[in-house]
Amino acid sequence: MTESVARRNWLLRCLEAGIAMTVAAIFWPVGWFLRPRAATHSGSLEIVAPYHMDQLKPDAEGRWPPPFEFGGKPCLLILVDGEPRALNAVCTHLDCTVEYRPAQGDIFCNCHNGVYDVNGRNLSGPPPRPLELYKAVKGKGNPGQEEILVSRIA
Amino acid sequence: MSPASPESTPEKRGWSGRLGAFFYQRLGLDGLAALAAKKHVPVHRTTLFYFLGGMALFLFAVQVATGILLSLYYKPSPDQAFESVRAIMTEVDFGWLFRSIHSWSANLLIGILFLHLLTTYMMRAYRRPREITWMTGVVLLGVFMAFGFSGYLLPWNQLSFFATRVGTAIAGSVPVIGKYALLMARGGEEITGDTLARFYALHVVILPLATIGLIGLHLFLVQKHGISSPEGVIRKHGGEERVPYMPFVPHFLLRDMVGWYLALGILAALAALFPWELGHKADPFGSAPAGIKPEWYFLFMFQALKQLPANLGGIEWLEGEMVGVLFFGFCGLVVLLVPYVDFGASRGRPRWVLNFLAALAVGFFIFMTAWGLR
Repeated sequence: MTESVARRNWLLRCLEAGIAMTVAAIFWPVGWFLRPRAATHSGSLEIVAPYHMDQLKPDAEGRWPPPFEFGGKPCLLILVDGEPRALNAVCTHLDCTVEYRPAQGDIFCNCHNGVYDVNGRNLSGPPPRPLELYKAVKGKGNPGQEEILVSRIA
Repeated sequence: MSPASPESTPEKRGWSGRLGAFFYQRLGLDGLAALAAKKHVPVHRTTLFYFLGGMALFLFAVQVATGILLSLYYKPSPDQAFESVRAIMTEVDFGWLFRSIHSWSANLLIGILFLHLLTTYMMRAYRRPREITWMTGVVLLGVFMAFGFSGYLLPWNQLSFFATRVGTAIAGSVPVIGKYALLMARGGEEITGDTLARFYALHVVILPLATIGLIGLHLFLVQKHGISSPEGVIRKHGGEERVPYMPFVPHFLLRDMVGWYLALGILAALAALFPWELGHKADPFGSAPAGIKPEWYFLFMFQALKQLPANLGGIEWLEGEMVGVLFFGFCGLVVLLVPYVDFGASRGRPRWVLNFLAALAVGFFIFMTAWGLR
């Protein structure tokens, strides 16, 4: 009697192990399938900005040229004392994209009123950290109309 | 409803037993248990046929699961559809597996539904009071063929592009409403991105919603009326109540699950050994590729329509295409209305004429499909 109960238990364990392995065999590929693909952006180390020096000015409505893509992230290009400066435009609070307000001379996030200065330091509002700075230098071109090279600060 | 007494709950030993008892009482599962206890399956020579419905349901579940996974990477636009399916096949981990299972399972599902229809006909299971069960089943077969047709376009390759051109043009040859049907199906005169968007919406929203409603009604009716036994079996045992049966839960369900497990293995093997082809990206202005033919379940109509002359009997308005399409439409209507076409069913009269026509139809299907595959 005890022997047949043990055999029954053994068969039950086998069945349970089989079910567990089936579940694993189904969810293993599902898990891998759900894993995001490798990023399509190579994250190039240096690009030529889409604006030349003479284009870095507010438009008729006072709006600064909007951020552009650099390494898969928005990059903000501003002028400080006539020199270009590039920053990662992703707000350190909750990932909104910030804008430059030339009239106020600050960088502002419209989502939760975060304020940074032109060096990217967080001044007020919820942002916990300063914005990441990139390197921006003038390249070829006539004086005042040079192209701008943006690169990561290694 | 009386509150569940402690005696009526399942055994409560161990933590899993106690957890089970907790939900059993809270969710009122005794109602479900009573339903399950009422459900049983007649046992006779052709009991095997009763597995086909459950198998179709299982394959539909596979379609839902793999379809949801594919939708995470698929992009329904002419610029990206082909590329996204190619990425699923080559870049995404196990993407080839899920796409191939989706395609294979779709084909097996249609095959199982054909057999389910045929065996249900053979057992004359549509007899009163099960006429609506039959008709929801026929509509479901049509819905699943529409699933196949709409899903075929989504990879946006040469074959799918021209299959959709031809398929919608066939709809366009129907008199009076044809032109309108074609415009509605294509979302314009030509197959464009709008067509792809329409077919995508049909495939992942409209048809799934319709299917869930229809399957719900179908299964409710099966539960309500019980599973039908063939007339001969009832006569042999002297009454429907006296036909031997097995409980659905757990006896038949466990047998069902053996079949499902087998089907899962077959699907995985088919996907691994014969991954579904991707083909070449559709070129809307290129020529149709040589040897183009539709999926096998549309092949019999395709092959038959090919044989028809442009005009029947040299009469100009009697277009061959139109006559063929109307004929197949009429056949579909007869299949839908079989419970009423077989008007002798309620009096237990034999159905010689209908059987002859059914045999003719099956023979026609097999012959035309084989010819088309050649």
